[in-house]
Amino acid sequence: MSDTTAEANQPADDAQTSAPRVPLLRRITQTLLYNQNVDRVRKTKARIGLAILCFALIYTVIATRLVLFAVVPDSHAARRVGSSDALATARPDIVDRNGEILATDVKVPSLFAEPKRLIDVDEAVELLTAVIPDLDTSELRDRLGSKRGFAWLKREIKPKTQREVHRLGIPGVGFLNENKRVYPNGREISHLIGHVNIDNQGIAGIEKWLDNRGLADLHRAGFASDRQQEPIELAVDLRVQHAMRDELAAGAEKFKAKAAAGVVLDVRSGEIVAMVSYPDYDPNNPKEALDPNRINRLTTGVFEMGSTFKALTVAMALDAGKATLNSSFDARASLRYGKFAISDYHAQHRVLTVPEIFTYSSNIGAAKMALAVGVEGHKAFLRKIGQLDRMRTELPESAEPIVPKRWGELNTVTISFGHGLSVAPLQALMAFGALMNGGNLIPPTFLKRSEDEARAVAKRVLKPETSVAMRYLMRLNAEKGSGAKADVAGYYVGGKTGTAEKVVGGRYSKTKLLCDFIAVMPSDDPRYLVLIMLDEPQPLPETHGFATAGWNAAPTAAKVIARIAPMLGVKPRFDLPPADRLILATMKTGR
Amino acid sequence: MRLLNLIVAAALVLAAAYVYKIKVAATVEAERVAKLRTQIHRERDAIAALRAETAKQENPGRIQYLADHYLALKSFDPQQVNTVDSIPLRTTDTIEPEVESFASSEPKAPAETATGSVRQPVRTR
Repeated sequence: MSDTTAEANQPADDAQTSAPRVPLLRRITQTLLYNQNVDRVRKTKARIGLAILCFALIYTVIATRLVLFAVVPDSHAARRVGSSDALATARPDIVDRNGEILATDVKVPSLFAEPKRLIDVDEAVELLTAVIPDLDTSELRDRLGSKRGFAWLKREIKPKTQREVHRLGIPGVGFLNENKRVYPNGREISHLIGHVNIDNQGIAGIEKWLDNRGLADLHRAGFASDRQQEPIELAVDLRVQHAMRDELAAGAEKFKAKAAAGVVLDVRSGEIVAMVSYPDYDPNNPKEALDPNRINRLTTGVFEMGSTFKALTVAMALDAGKATLNSSFDARASLRYGKFAISDYHAQHRVLTVPEIFTYSSNIGAAKMALAVGVEGHKAFLRKIGQLDRMRTELPESAEPIVPKRWGELNTVTISFGHGLSVAPLQALMAFGALMNGGNLIPPTFLKRSEDEARAVAKRVLKPETSVAMRYLMRLNAEKGSGAKADVAGYYVGGKTGTAEKVVGGRYSKTKLLCDFIAVMPSDDPRYLVLIMLDEPQPLPETHGFATAGWNAAPTAAKVIARIAPMLGVKPRFDLPPADRLILATMKTGR
Repeated sequence: MRLLNLIVAAALVLAAAYVYKIKVAATVEAERVAKLRTQIHRERDAIAALRAETAKQENPGRIQYLADHYLALKSFDPQQVNTVDSIPLRTTDTIEPEVESFASSEPKAPAETATGSVRQPVRTR
């Protein structure tokens, strides 16, 4: 024992310089416990010191925790939701491209009852039906009579009603604040924005897209219960949308059409600046949406687009090198295929050049151009520009195009002038966008998107020279052809009419027509495409008994363009040279 | 020794009182924070309701109806739009006294003078 002490004592002298801990500890414990030579007082002092050390350690831990509690701020998750708010589902605001509110949440009280706590059911029923007359008495009695813990009585009541019911003083009846989705500009944007059900879940349009994108998951997880969400910016411009809807409603009334639809598409970014399908509904009152006449004809309806498809045929022939703007095709006699004869509406009975085929809208010419490319080439081109597959946008509603199962020469011939293939009108407009913007197929979007982002998702489908040729043809058609009534002075508008006979009872009807018009503005450097569609317009005395697109869809398009061009920032330019000098000139120097 | 004990005991009581005071102050602050939070919540709801009301008042259809009924405005012709670049620049002021002498001595110019930026009305024949 003594020699270990001596051993331990030796390094104690140089403990501060190089002594390891263990002998020091051993020295202390041995001093405290075993060493009989040490003074008792010293031992006691050492023991007290040890106790002080332990308590000091404990108090340091407590002090640190106190400081931490004071310094670290409260996290968001710990914030309490107000006890009078229902836990559903705040949705982010939806605004248009200029910041105008399209959809927003408003807190509205809802009436509920706890039937377990009710004292007198009959008295409660009497008092409540006195204040809220449109509550069903028997249903109310059932709900209050059941011994459940919670029952909704009436959702989304007015604040005045809330005050009156509160004053009744019925125990077991209370209010919860709920988020109600309100559409201040409801009628203008109905199909685009969709609507929600009573529990604020999106069931159509962009509202449903929001849910699918992740809002539904957030709600299920319990987050997103307050207002702090970024608003969703759409590409739509409310002023343009209203102008188009106004003119379409007026046009449908004037031409006694069953329905009307219109789209404004930005060709450079693929944004849909306006989309109207008339008749539409008020999303504040979503029961109207169930009417089958109020469907969105642009995305959920498929139609044979008619002569507007000739533009795609001509573009295909030019791009494949099977024709140039100077080529000509024989349109003297009608094409015969077995028992079918294809003839022209404005028959010229002579050989037509490609621009003449476009401006006279010759079915025979278009058929011959498509046959020059061939059946397989035609099919491949249409698939390339997205006409044979379902087009998917942010709207959950979309329609599958009706494609012939067996595609032979006769199908190519009819599809070349727009009969035989039914597509959604928005799909056809997407292809037109590729024809106009230099040859890039950009999928349309309802969200705000810049040109660079659009270029990233674009697919090249045509040569730039083909696009320039198509711009020339569109402008030529507005100068000399069927699109003359759509020309608005100052905006260098180009366009193509399309009149398709609708299929009634298995055969084409001569009286029921689908008239559409696709306008591009301005033609030399396209920025916007406008599609106007009228379903079954009637001939009028002022249209000299004609109901073709040049008489109804084209003037409607002119009215729409005159109203929306200033809003879209298109500068009017006057005294421009005609198409062959302004547009074709760029084509020749471009080589 | 007893004095030291007394002093230490008194210090202990004082320390306890001080801690209690801090705790009460913290509770009061927490209540204030909670009250402010509900007030903010309520203000935000009121703002949202007002914004919805504003948007409803600014609905283009409503404005169009009101403009048609109460204002004498018409939708404008594209020919009324022009850019600043096409307005001719003002030349030096030495011209102005000459113009004034012209105006006082010669008869007035005809009203239909065409200037550079205004388009001539088309004469139909």
